[in-house]
Amino acid sequence: MRCTPSAPFVLSTSRRYHEAFTRLVATPGLRTIVLEMAPVSTVDSAGAAVLKTWQKECGARGINLELSQAAPQVEAFLRFAGFFEKPTARPAPSKKRSPLPERLGVAAVRLWNDTRDLIQFIGGVTVAVGPCCFNPKRFRPREILYYIQQSGPEAVPIVFLVSFLMGLIMAFQAAVQLRQFGANIFVADLVSLALTRELGPLMTAIILAGRSAAAFAAEIGTMKVNEEVDALTVMGFEITEFLVMPKVVALAVSGPLLTVFANASGILGGIVVGVLSLDLTPASFILEVWQILTVGDVAGGLVKSLAFAVVVALVGCFRGLQTERTADSVGRMTTSAVVTSIFLIILTDAVFTIIFHVFSW
Amino acid sequence: MKRNETRSDVEEAVIRTENLTVGYGETVVLQGVTFHVAKGEIVTILGGSGCGKSTLLKALIGLIPPLGGSVWVAGHPIVGPDRQEALEAVRRKIGVLFQSGALLGSFTLADNVALPLEEFTDLPKALIDEIVHTKLAAVGLADYAQYMPMELSGGMRKRAALARAMALDPEILFCDEPSAGLDPVTAAELDTLLLQLNEALGITLVVITHELASILAISQRSIMLDSEAKGIIAQGSPRDLQEKSTDPKVLAFFHRNPSLLAQAAGSTTP
Repeated sequence: MRCTPSAPFVLSTSRRYHEAFTRLVATPGLRTIVLEMAPVSTVDSAGAAVLKTWQKECGARGINLELSQAAPQVEAFLRFAGFFEKPTARPAPSKKRSPLPERLGVAAVRLWNDTRDLIQFIGGVTVAVGPCCFNPKRFRPREILYYIQQSGPEAVPIVFLVSFLMGLIMAFQAAVQLRQFGANIFVADLVSLALTRELGPLMTAIILAGRSAAAFAAEIGTMKVNEEVDALTVMGFEITEFLVMPKVVALAVSGPLLTVFANASGILGGIVVGVLSLDLTPASFILEVWQILTVGDVAGGLVKSLAFAVVVALVGCFRGLQTERTADSVGRMTTSAVVTSIFLIILTDAVFTIIFHVFSW
Repeated sequence: MKRNETRSDVEEAVIRTENLTVGYGETVVLQGVTFHVAKGEIVTILGGSGCGKSTLLKALIGLIPPLGGSVWVAGHPIVGPDRQEALEAVRRKIGVLFQSGALLGSFTLADNVALPLEEFTDLPKALIDEIVHTKLAAVGLADYAQYMPMELSGGMRKRAALARAMALDPEILFCDEPSAGLDPVTAAELDTLLLQLNEALGITLVVITHELASILAISQRSIMLDSEAKGIIAQGSPRDLQEKSTDPKVLAFFHRNPSLLAQAAGSTTP
């Protein structure tokens, strides 16, 4: 059969050509198709793909496909597109998804390796603290102040807002119940105890995870992508000392300070509810807080906040150093820094709860 | 050892590798690599993309441990149990110009150059400032001392990185594709700068590159790597390699002619 296509073989005509061909090859007893290409002046990649598909389909059906009178530029393009080459087998499609047990195994091994690397990293930082203590200049005071500024004062507005609202909500929820028993004043006890012992350190740490862990991971990750970490290593700098230590020390300072601020903000929220809906005076609320809180409650919360802050800084730096040399890796590690920080904060909190329970603190 | 090299040449070399195998984990990139670089020599390590040039550089500057064989840099063997101590000594004697420049983005140019001086010397600040000025002036950036790296062009960043790599007057300077991403004039300027450093200070230069113009301009000796051979396929002066080599891969590289490779592959096909 001789066919004379007249339209160009381009993207806009490809679908029509393909459908016409599908009808054509269904003709029974067809042995040869000769495409008289003389009227065709243009072929693009889509058109070449159509012709190659026909060639393949004809080969499978035992039909001989011939091109005749193709213009030189059409023939040149088809040659470039590989139309005249012997068709070769395409590479096999990417391998199937591995079975569930295998994926679980791989995930478990990855988790184990990750945990081991994190423990090694924490060990490395701990070892680096010693020499710095003997020579405080190695702590890099300028960098520490910079990171305290970044993680502390700049986090004050969000810490205030979150803690204030937390105190407000907690006081309001407690007030609804306690009012029934005429125990309004105990709202002060609940808010102050819950905040200083648990929620103040926890919420502050979660805010630090969202701000500082992400920032540290992104900063170090970008430095890795830009070969800055390699440059520092080759110049002989201890990466732990140069990049990690200032961040850990900065958060160890700003974490507890922010927690004190968060506690105060939360209690202020409680006072607002007490004054507006429980007929309490600010003085009576503060007096109750003063009487119920012990040094142990506040100190326990601050010890926790110190531990959380160190965890956040370490995880942020660890994930940053795990970054590979791609932009998407920076994104993944930043996300991972926040998720891992929050998980480890909760885990650390659980450990503290057990320790405090055992020592009746 | 080549015929015209004496044993003392090799023993006095500032860089020496023997049967070096490098790679990542279980992936071997290069194996059985043996070469040396003499003091004051300019050697280019060249080859196509993915042939292991940068991996070899990483092994030479101690960023990755070799998988096998031996490496001596500036007289220290950087393999074995004392690798860490050796690397600490080696890093005082080498400078590295990274492909991206790798200047610290949050530091000014002056701070970047001053960084190794402040960290590893006890010089007073006035002296450090003077050295920083000298180094930046040497690379033509004295007026840009207080600029941040992001405020400069790619070529200027490379020159600033060169000033930092030279801060401690290293014995050996490693350069990873110094002309990559630069226009031909800027690349030629950088090449001239490297030649001046070599002539004025007698510094040994190991330059990883695949820029033919740079190779011909600066190289006294070239070592060509190949990804299929996973090792060195040729070494010698670049002119000799260009004009006298019979290896199709070397010829294809130096004459920018991929068809030579195809012809060679065709002639070996049964």
